[in-house]
Formats: sequence, C-alpha cells, structure tokens
Amino acid sequence: MGILRISNTEFSPESEHIAFRDEVKGAGAIVAFTGIVRGEKQDLSLTLSHYAGFTEKEIIKIVNKAEKRWSILNWRIIHRVGVMLPGEPIVFVATASIHRRASFEAADFLMDYLKSEAPFWKSEKSLGKKKWIEPRLQDLNDKKRWEE
Amino acid sequence: MITILFFGNLGDIFPTMEISLPPSVITIEDLTLWLSENMFISEKTLLKKGNRISINKNIITGNVSLKDGDEIAFMSPLSGG
Repeated sequence: MGILRISNTEFSPESEHIAFRDEVKGAGAIVAFTGIVRGEKQDLSLTLSHYAGFTEKEIIKIVNKAEKRWSILNWRIIHRVGVMLPGEPIVFVATASIHRRASFEAADFLMDYLKSEAPFWKSEKSLGKKKWIEPRLQDLNDKKRWEE
Repeated sequence: MITILFFGNLGDIFPTMEISLPPSVITIEDLTLWLSENMFISEKTLLKKGNRISINKNIITGNVSLKDGDEIAFMSPLSGG
C-alpha cells in the first residue's frame, strides 16, 4: 500500500525519495518524478486548491488503474495545495518495481492522469493579475496515449 | 438542506450555498435551472464543456435525482501536477 499526501506546506522531494526507498522491499527499480513551479519571476505565484475527500478518492482510482496495468511494488504521491513560488515542488510521484520498465511507465501514467483527472484547480498570479490554468492540449494528448 | 460547492474559476464567481431543497427541484437539471432562475447562475457557465458535476463526491453524468442532504459540486476543468 502506497502513501498519498495532500500537503499545504512545502515538502522535500529528496526526503520523500529516501523515505520511499527505505520502505520498499525487494525492488530492483525506483522511478521518482518531481514537478516544480516554472519560471523565475519574483512576482509570480501559483495557487492550487482541491476538494478534500474527493481529491484523495479520485487519485486512488488513478493509482488502482496503474496497479492493474503494471506490477508495482509500492508508490508514493505527494501533491501540494496552497500558494507556491517558482522553484517550489508541486508534485512528487514515485513508483517501485522488480524491473525498471514497470516503474518508468507507471510513474509516467500517474503523472499524465494527475494532470487532467485529479481534482485540483490551478491559478497563476502575476503582476497582481489572476489567471486560471486549464490542461493544455499536450496534457490531454499525453493522457490519451494510455487509452490506445 | 443541500450544499452546493463551486470549484476552480466557478468558485471565483459563485459562493458555497446551503439551501433547502426547493420543491421544484427533483434532478440535477432542475437544480441548474433553479440556480439560473433564482440565483442568476447561468446554466451555460455551469455546464460549460470540460466542467464536471459530483454528488456526494461521486462524478455524475446525465440527469441524476437529488435528495435532502446531498452535497453537489460544480467543477471547472481539473488541472493538477
């Protein structure tokens, strides 16, 4: 059983990676992905919100799909909510398996689905102006790859 | 009472509501019509392509029945990661 955490404070992807590695038994591969807030502008911030209870439930459904498709020994998903600045981690996804391919593909799949199927809402604030961010066509196409 | 939540950009436009289930509202379509007629929340905005609706934290499609105590959420397109 993996770990899912929605965090309203900054987390350390490095600490998460070490903790994940320490709890995985019998794995020959770990793949870990960290998404960070893009940009260098000092006045830019990103705000993520979620629907408590529902967001967790929908993410577990995504994980269940991945577990049906690949032999994953363990997984960990940490997702930020709240206000973030450029350079801060937004999401951490790690998967472990006996051989590498399952971990690579499962982590890729989890990220593609988190982008457009996990109940989060993202807005950007720059120069005092707020803009809602929706999935790009590329994000939707990335997810479609797994449906073919 | 029913609770109506709005997420994403819909949450910028509309506040959370707790209301008694209006007698004319039997289904989710009745509710969107009632919101447009009584709360000036346009159906077009609520039902925009890419938006989702959940009842008691389950995504719904189609014209589902409502009951007292339901928590209804209108969501703009999801964007994680």
